[in-house]
Amino acid sequence: MSFTTTPAVVMGFAGNDSPSFVFPTAIATRSSAATKAAPNKPVFGSTSTSSQSNFLASKRGTEDLDFFIGDEAIEASNGQAYSLSYPIKHGQIENWDHMERFWENSIFKYLRTEPEDHYFLLTEPPLNAPENRENTAEIMFESFNCAGLYIAVQAVLALAASWSSSKVVDRSLTGTVIDSGDGVTHVIPVAEGYVIGSAIKNIPIAGRDITLFIQSLLRDRGEQDTSLRTAEKIKQEFCYVVPDIVKEFNKFDRQPEKFAQYIVETTRGPKKTVDVGYERFLAPEIFFNPEIASSDFLTPLPTVVDQVIQATPIDVRKGLYRNIVLSGGSTMFKDFGRRLQRDIKTIVNDRIAASEQLSGGTKSSGVQVEVISHRRQRNAVWFGGSLLAQTSEFNSYCHTKQDYEEYGPKRSFKIKYKHLVDKSN
Amino acid sequence: MLQLQNENLLISKTLSELIQSPQLVDRIISDFDYTTFHLTTPQDENNLLISITSKSFKDLSKYNATNELNVIYEEFKTDYIEPGYDYSIQLNLIEISNKSQEERDQIIKDISLLKRHLLAIPFYHAFKVYNSLAEEYTNSGVEPEATNEIFEIDYRDEESIYIQPSFDRVTVIFSTIFKDETDKVFGKVFLQEFVDARKRAVQNAPQVLYSHKEPPLEIRNLIKFKADEKKGYITFVLFPRHLTVQKQDNTISHIQLFRNYFHYHIKCSKAYMHSRMRFRVDQYLKVLNRAKPENEEVARKTASGRRFLST
Amino acid sequence: MVLTNSVLYQSQSLRPYLATVRASLQASLCLEDFSSQLVERHNRPEVEARKTVEALLNPILISRNENEQIFIETSVNSVRLSIKIKQVDDIENILVSKFTRFLMSRAENFFILRRTPIEGYDISFLITNFHTEKMLKHKLVDFIIEFMEDVDKEISEMKLFLNARARFIAEAYLTPFD
Repeated sequence: MSFTTTPAVVMGFAGNDSPSFVFPTAIATRSSAATKAAPNKPVFGSTSTSSQSNFLASKRGTEDLDFFIGDEAIEASNGQAYSLSYPIKHGQIENWDHMERFWENSIFKYLRTEPEDHYFLLTEPPLNAPENRENTAEIMFESFNCAGLYIAVQAVLALAASWSSSKVVDRSLTGTVIDSGDGVTHVIPVAEGYVIGSAIKNIPIAGRDITLFIQSLLRDRGEQDTSLRTAEKIKQEFCYVVPDIVKEFNKFDRQPEKFAQYIVETTRGPKKTVDVGYERFLAPEIFFNPEIASSDFLTPLPTVVDQVIQATPIDVRKGLYRNIVLSGGSTMFKDFGRRLQRDIKTIVNDRIAASEQLSGGTKSSGVQVEVISHRRQRNAVWFGGSLLAQTSEFNSYCHTKQDYEEYGPKRSFKIKYKHLVDKSN
Repeated sequence: MLQLQNENLLISKTLSELIQSPQLVDRIISDFDYTTFHLTTPQDENNLLISITSKSFKDLSKYNATNELNVIYEEFKTDYIEPGYDYSIQLNLIEISNKSQEERDQIIKDISLLKRHLLAIPFYHAFKVYNSLAEEYTNSGVEPEATNEIFEIDYRDEESIYIQPSFDRVTVIFSTIFKDETDKVFGKVFLQEFVDARKRAVQNAPQVLYSHKEPPLEIRNLIKFKADEKKGYITFVLFPRHLTVQKQDNTISHIQLFRNYFHYHIKCSKAYMHSRMRFRVDQYLKVLNRAKPENEEVARKTASGRRFLST
Repeated sequence: MVLTNSVLYQSQSLRPYLATVRASLQASLCLEDFSSQLVERHNRPEVEARKTVEALLNPILISRNENEQIFIETSVNSVRLSIKIKQVDDIENILVSKFTRFLMSRAENFFILRRTPIEGYDISFLITNFHTEKMLKHKLVDFIIEFMEDVDKEISEMKLFLNARARFIAEAYLTPFD
């Protein structure tokens, strides 16, 4: 069983082809009761925020059972009685109380399992503080008595997910992960299962920017419908990446059938038709030429990837170039991987040529650049987790409740990827 | 969430999605007590095979489980049983999608209750025995000898349900195990309240008895596993009022989730304790940080340069 | 300050107990830097090292009853105090151990908290001369006293909660049968 906790929680069972549940990590807690009880219970926690202290103050209260998570939470928060909050911010757990109850509900209501019977795989963002890992272990073992727990770094799982691609021959855990979701794109180098933290780079261009860019193009043209939803749909259905935008512009001029139409279904009123034109290839282009959409970030993605790899120790660079893995919804555009590969290759080859010239005739053996795309990209992290968790050895790498009780949370969570690498080869 | 539901949410969600847009799937869905469902489309996307395997099935098959389920799922029954699973049903999604919305909802609901129906079988059997014994009693006026037949279901490792019908009651005994010392102590507190609740508030509820370590007399000779500190036995005595035709479905649905409900709430209380303790830690840290001089207020002075009296 | 604040809910025998603890702590928190006589240029908390007998003082045991005791071990550069928290039954037992474990796993934030208690006690603090140099001594004493007061209250509140919750859960389960 595995969970992924990014802005949306993704959970399911090992071995499945797709996650069982995907919903936002939102929790709606009872709020009206708390505010009402505020004045008459000063005993407990005089200085804390009112909802928290009251939730704890009422000895008889069952407020801690009265909450919703995920989509139901968003629904419930439309009413008066519940207030919505997000326990995870920027991939980090901020409110442990809420997170604990979020898990509680996920396990018992949605997954319907007794945690004592199962091993759990949770994911964490790179550079997660060890305290977070310890707190997570504390919750999973002390509250839920779960049989075993494994906390994996998301990027590593994304690498594991790429094993499903036919291009991958040696199942190594060395590679560069490009993880692009809605808000931000991370470029994360991983060597033998260990994240090279110092070299990680983030790019403020991701799915949302593409949507906004499409929307602005639609608005410029004065289309009938320029809502964010429409822009999002166009992004998902029509966009692709091209090798050369000038050629593509010409192609569009010569072949009018390249223009597409998107029909907006509305519940009331007539259907609206939106023409889809150059944004089909221009929108994803902002990864490669950011200047067309933003003025504050101008480094193209291939250059960033190259910089990241150049910032890593020299002995792992070849491996990192050879295995560049895509993950996340915003890398799903057609030919995204091919374009990225070509651009990185150009950068690398230019550098090799320059150094060959400088060294006066010594030939370089060359650097192989390979970008791996595969069908599981959208939920790559989840899928990687599912893949790891169903291997027969998985359970033996988990930390068990006995481990936890014997050594406590501190010592236990040393990451054991090394074994996974050995085993997979 | 106070009560656990009998329906499996994930099954109903997956089913309603698949009825809307059939596709090839191969999914595993879990449920409590080592129950696993497998949803596959072995031939094409319109034919969905749903298989279930459950720890308790070995015992349940003694009570004709397959046939009983076939009665409930008449429409979908199939002779094929997927290897590795205990029972399978076959759904034609096209047929279902042509039905009315209500019928569809009913089908989805029925299937999401598959595990409930499976575990309900011995209860129905026991209730039947009770009915015949009760009838015998009203006819003859003599108390029939208590049968020695006890329905026994090993539904988890080392944890079992025992059902004993007699002419005026049906006794249901759960054995449960506390893996954790905290659970054991919390569990005792909870169970004590279960025992007392009837005297205090809910008079019409079944009688609850609780014994720790020592199994109740009725089942003493059935116990396979050695008694130890971690074991607890909870006895529910169901009275005729719970066994009427109108009530029995509800009674069964409710009682079979007892163990899950019980352990779920132990965990919830622990989660609550954690929030309390987190809050306490923050409080203590605040007090401790007052000891750091940099947090000391700078001595305030009045405009004329005089100091405030420190308290 | 703290005393007046808490007088309301302090039973009669608790007040002298805490007053004694306060007085003894204040007296014993008279620490100074002391170079180790065994390892050059080291400063060890002598109360932990126990190697230099002349740096150690006689320990103090303050006992309210056999369940509630505080043990103060003093030395020239460090004080170790260990608290036995009241626990009369299994439930309190488990709650105390859960709570102290929770605290001790966060010992880093607490500076003076020891990661493990000394044997026979539930929780231990170690205050060294470095702590008293950086922090206000009387406030440290306040913290200990407040901790001792609060911990009993917290445990009994948790126990009350558990009973209330159990009752609620039991009734909620049994009601639908009707």
